[in-house]
Amino acid sequence: MAPRIQNQVVSNSLLPYLSPSSTTSSSTCLPRLPSTSSPSLAYRPRQSCRSLSSTVAPQTRRREEMFGWLHGPGARLKNHVPGQTNYLTSFKDKDGNLLSSTKIFPQNLMYRSESILSEDLRNEIYDRVVRQKRSVRAVSVELQVDMRRVAAVVRLVELENRMKEQDKPLALPYARAIHEMVPTSNYNKEYGSGRPHEGINDLPVHRLTNPQIFYPVSESRQFNRVDAGRVFSAAPALETSQVEENAADPYASVARITQNPGSIETVGKGDDEQQVLQPSDMRIPHPHLVAKERQNIINPNEFHKNREIYNERLAAEENATQERKLKAEKRREKQMLRVQPADSRFEFRIKDVVVSKETTGKDGRGARAPGRRYGVPSYDRKRGQVKIPTRVVV
Amino acid sequence: MRNRATTKLNKPKVRQSWSKWNLYNLQRFKLPFAVYRTHFQQKWDAKSAARAYHGEQVSEKQWTGMFSPRIRSVMPMDARKLAQDDGSLKSAGRGSGLFKTEEDALKEEQKQIPYSQMTFAPLERRLDVAIFRAMFASSARQARQFVIHGAVTVNGKPMRHPSYLLNPGDLFQVEPERVMYATGAPKDKVDRREIRLANKEAEEAKEKEAEAAEEAEGEAAEEAKENSVENPRKTLKLLLSQAKEIMSTDKKTLPAKRKQELRGFQKAVRRVLSRSESSTILTDSLESQFSQLTLLLRAREADKKNKDMEETQEKGEEAEKPKSKPESSADDAEATETGQQQLRDNLSEAFAMATQNKEVDMSELTRDEVQVLKRALVQMRDNPIDHSKPYATPWRPRDYMSAFATIPRYLEVNHNICAAVYLRHPVARPGYSEVPSPFSDSVGTMAFTWYLRRR
Amino acid sequence: MVVRIRLSRFGNKHQPFYNIVVAQARSARDSKPLEVIGTFNPVPQRPTNLSDEEARRARAYKEVSLDRSRAKYWIGVGAQPSDSVWRLMSLAGIVRESKKAGESKKATEEKAQE
Repeated sequence: MAPRIQNQVVSNSLLPYLSPSSTTSSSTCLPRLPSTSSPSLAYRPRQSCRSLSSTVAPQTRRREEMFGWLHGPGARLKNHVPGQTNYLTSFKDKDGNLLSSTKIFPQNLMYRSESILSEDLRNEIYDRVVRQKRSVRAVSVELQVDMRRVAAVVRLVELENRMKEQDKPLALPYARAIHEMVPTSNYNKEYGSGRPHEGINDLPVHRLTNPQIFYPVSESRQFNRVDAGRVFSAAPALETSQVEENAADPYASVARITQNPGSIETVGKGDDEQQVLQPSDMRIPHPHLVAKERQNIINPNEFHKNREIYNERLAAEENATQERKLKAEKRREKQMLRVQPADSRFEFRIKDVVVSKETTGKDGRGARAPGRRYGVPSYDRKRGQVKIPTRVVV
Repeated sequence: MRNRATTKLNKPKVRQSWSKWNLYNLQRFKLPFAVYRTHFQQKWDAKSAARAYHGEQVSEKQWTGMFSPRIRSVMPMDARKLAQDDGSLKSAGRGSGLFKTEEDALKEEQKQIPYSQMTFAPLERRLDVAIFRAMFASSARQARQFVIHGAVTVNGKPMRHPSYLLNPGDLFQVEPERVMYATGAPKDKVDRREIRLANKEAEEAKEKEAEAAEEAEGEAAEEAKENSVENPRKTLKLLLSQAKEIMSTDKKTLPAKRKQELRGFQKAVRRVLSRSESSTILTDSLESQFSQLTLLLRAREADKKNKDMEETQEKGEEAEKPKSKPESSADDAEATETGQQQLRDNLSEAFAMATQNKEVDMSELTRDEVQVLKRALVQMRDNPIDHSKPYATPWRPRDYMSAFATIPRYLEVNHNICAAVYLRHPVARPGYSEVPSPFSDSVGTMAFTWYLRRR
Repeated sequence: MVVRIRLSRFGNKHQPFYNIVVAQARSARDSKPLEVIGTFNPVPQRPTNLSDEEARRARAYKEVSLDRSRAKYWIGVGAQPSDSVWRLMSLAGIVRESKKAGESKKATEEKAQE
């Protein structure tokens, strides 16, 4: 995409649709002073086609009303104002300046039009992840962008580069227009990003927390988030020694879980077995940020040392994730035998499975056993069976 | 032409569409006054209004199958607050929380989560709806057509099912040409007339050329050479005046007039190219035109002696300073990376040279004017006049598009390539719901209870 | 009666999928077997999550899952693999390369002597 020039002298005013002045002028002069500026475009109410009839067909009246609105109060919506939103709810002040609002639907107070990543911010994310080889987690924290979004941006910019290499047509004017219509989160090389793009520590509301539970606790006892999680998942309260241990080193207790999610305690038996609900400190996307804040509270003056500790912890977290991934990969590879016979075009991937009482179950129909089940007809030729794919693998 | 069946003026329904009819309906939409309606009627009204917008292309049976009473929501967490308090502060005071002042207590009280506005969240997973939400199509119906006609890929593979439910992490892409068509202004009468005229002119020119070629083959080359020798100064002046005209046009002038001027500019560029010695053939593609123009200016600069080279380069850098993008700032090693970038650099360099040249009046080509010329050229390349396109060229957004322009957070969109990633399912958070819906809370609640009844 | 290790067809029209089963030789193909010891998907799958360069060179693969210990046990007690299962098992390294390897070896030796 060509550089978007922020210089006032050379603004986007080359083409008619890009010019802020032209849009505002058209909105002001067209409805009120139709005769002076452009008589051809002026709105005139339609005459009824039946010249002798005095009644007006209802549809025509409605159309008149509509065009009356479109040429009157709605005229300012026709063209966009670069750098501003132009919604039904935005209005003009006394001086005729358009005040943008983020409320796009006048009746829905619960939906706002939120900012999108600007071109610069997108390139910065890509640069940090791909060229500077920073981890997604670190970039997410620095630029206040969700980790999933960071990953998506990298994918999309990669795709864009590939399309540019292949000389495929891009929709550049379209992209420019959209970025002028929608609020954007900007990034400046010198000043960085102004305000955070989005909250990065969103805690998904867990299914187990839906019911309201009345749980009496003695006033002398401290009842914290860990206890609440255990109550929600109907697990017995923690032992006192464990509680003390956690209180002594809160980061260690969190790191134990976040660096090894398989070690979460479970309750219940058989099909009812489930993991104990963990406190929000562990379930948020960036648990290490809590540890950092805690460190700041403990040693508010030792900025450098705190930063060092934070970096160490972040590195440890990333290493643990990497290791976990590698281990899983190794395990998978160990169970898999790849054979490439000379006389075949194909590779055979032979996976080890286990057929035993545990997997097949008593009746031989266990879901963990290999193979398709017996005694279940295939309904694929029946009417009304949905056969569209449920996923597309990259 | 509007769809009369869906956007009507009596008994209006709000649709997932950017048409002005729909905008008008959206602006005046009102539910019947609840006092005179029974509870059932209220639910019916709410549900029918909401369904007319949310998944109108989906049958009721299919939607009731998708509806889920369990709604996804998130709570934004503040790391500092989590660090300050392990939760015991909130549970203290017999469960009512220990706060220092009432203000703190008020601050703690979160806004409500608008669960009922999330009634139609499952529909946002559909491919056609996601395409509409990413602003790749002007209505959900059009998005659906794009999918069926095979213009959409999911994760790089063609997907022809509009009801494909996107999974978090899926990347979908629409052909950029289709998107430009869907979101661009349509061709109008004036456009079509001009296309006709242009075609006619082209034909005549062809005939003339053929005649001319027969008559004088040898003379033409010499003449062209003469022209190019005396021209450099003139050509630049001419181009500049054209660009200036475009930039300086009054606010009052109509878009059509501006378009005409832009066309004039394009013609001027062509003329320049046809005169120059480097391009005896008139180049059709804009990309090649662009490069030809840069070449032309380059060639002129090469004639000059190298003694004031350093000086000019300094000036060139100076000229580029006001630009925000550092990429084009005279860093030659970097500039050679991509062709486009290089092109841009060459151009700015060439123009900087041109300003230094004594043949051209310095007063006439200031820094800003060079920028103007450059900007005009870049835009002409990015957004050319091309009569073969199904939309009005140069591309401009369709009318009333900005009133609907919003991109929800659960999508990450790259508009350059018309691709988007479905990051996650839409969620509700305190005081905010991610499902774009034109209806108030009460409509959402009533619709939710309507579908809840049938569970 | 002979116990055989063979394939039984599942899946849909134009979309075969086989269970590798241990069954009585005279029983119907898709009847309930003595034991299911694995599966075989003959539809070649494209490898995913590759870069462009890798994807160009990558071979399509066919998925086999097999419980080796059960397979060895059943062969040990005299179950006879069918030709196609023999081929799969030989790929897994459970049985010899060719079903008639002994004979073919002899044949080659004879040829060599001549």
